[in-house]
Amino acid sequence: MKRRCERALTPPGISFAAERRWFAAGLVLAALWSLRFVPGYLRALGALYETDRLTGERSLLEGAVMPPFAEVLGSALAGFPVLALAMVFVAVFHYQSHVRGSRSILLMRRLPDRWELHRRCLAAPLLGLLAAAAAALALWLLYFAVYRLATPQECLLPLSRPDPGRFLP
Amino acid sequence: MIEIRHLNKKYPGKLALSDVSFDLPRGEIVGLLGENGAGKTTLMKCMLGLTRFEGSVTLDGEPVSHRNIAALSFGTGEHSFFPGLTAQDHRVFYEAHFPRFSAQRFHGLLDFFSLPPHRKLRTFSMGQQNQFEVILALSQGADYILLDEPFAGNDVFNREDFYKVLSGILEPHETLLLSTHLIEEVSGILGRALLLRGGRLVGDLSVPQLEEEGKTLLEAVKETYRYRADRVGRALGALTGEEELP
Repeated sequence: MKRRCERALTPPGISFAAERRWFAAGLVLAALWSLRFVPGYLRALGALYETDRLTGERSLLEGAVMPPFAEVLGSALAGFPVLALAMVFVAVFHYQSHVRGSRSILLMRRLPDRWELHRRCLAAPLLGLLAAAAAALALWLLYFAVYRLATPQECLLPLSRPDPGRFLP
Repeated sequence: MIEIRHLNKKYPGKLALSDVSFDLPRGEIVGLLGENGAGKTTLMKCMLGLTRFEGSVTLDGEPVSHRNIAALSFGTGEHSFFPGLTAQDHRVFYEAHFPRFSAQRFHGLLDFFSLPPHRKLRTFSMGQQNQFEVILALSQGADYILLDEPFAGNDVFNREDFYKVLSGILEPHETLLLSTHLIEEVSGILGRALLLRGGRLVGDLSVPQLEEEGKTLLEAVKETYRYRADRVGRALGALTGEEELP
């Protein structure tokens, strides 16, 4: 039953399991790329301290402020938009599969279930898109938690309400 | 019954079909004849709703839509199967989408043509692919079976097998609309012939009536198209500079 449901998520002849494996590999690569946050964060954290050359003791610099989270995060989550973009190409590939080797588009477009063609071409890429967004959000929350909890409180900027206007030109 | 009224289809810079009207009752085997570019494929695609057109195509009084499209099947020389699936996979797919799919007819025809059920379609020869395309169209459980140049690429023995199958297995309620160039070969199974020329319906011939008049279908088609039997001689004469051949 599960296999039949999975088969209905991709065009006939294209393996959902194979696409899932490729997607999982992409997800792992994006997650590995996001680990860039760790050295970036440690560098920013280290810059808050000074070390006594004689005793080797570390102490907070007076008035030291941690850079904003977005700056520390940098492009650590950039792998996920790339993965999302790949899903667009997967959807195009699915539609094109119906005109490669034969014209199965002529069958798909005359099925009594008029959504079958679009479901099979778009379901897997949309699932991939959602999974990529969920993974990106989970990592963002994790890194944000690390940033807020591991940074000395006196060095953190107060949390401010996001200003959507700053994204406008 | 399928009723086609004042069907027009335009492509940029070309009128593909012009004011085509005819009825297709149940239980007929009808040939759709015409030269290349006459509009045969376009007409079938219009009937199936695969391309936009002006005019109307109705099936038992209702426009053809996803609600009644299962009553029409389509086998095309372009092939509409999935090359990455096996014949058995196609059976599963068709059964899921067409409730009247006939597995008995499907397996019977696979056996008849000795087609391997567990090999991917892309590994079939062109002739086998054509046979499989027709098998799907005949097994879908449709009342109206539209076949567009299904024998292109098949040798004469394969084609003769096709004709035997077509004339032998159709139920009285099934209608076959067969588009082909091979007029002489199919004339034995046709009850009626629709002639298209330059996008216009130029003839609607009853084959039994032609027989009563002592004419063959091919003669009637040539007459309708005003075929010039001397054109080969004229062309050769012009090319070689010699006198016309008889």
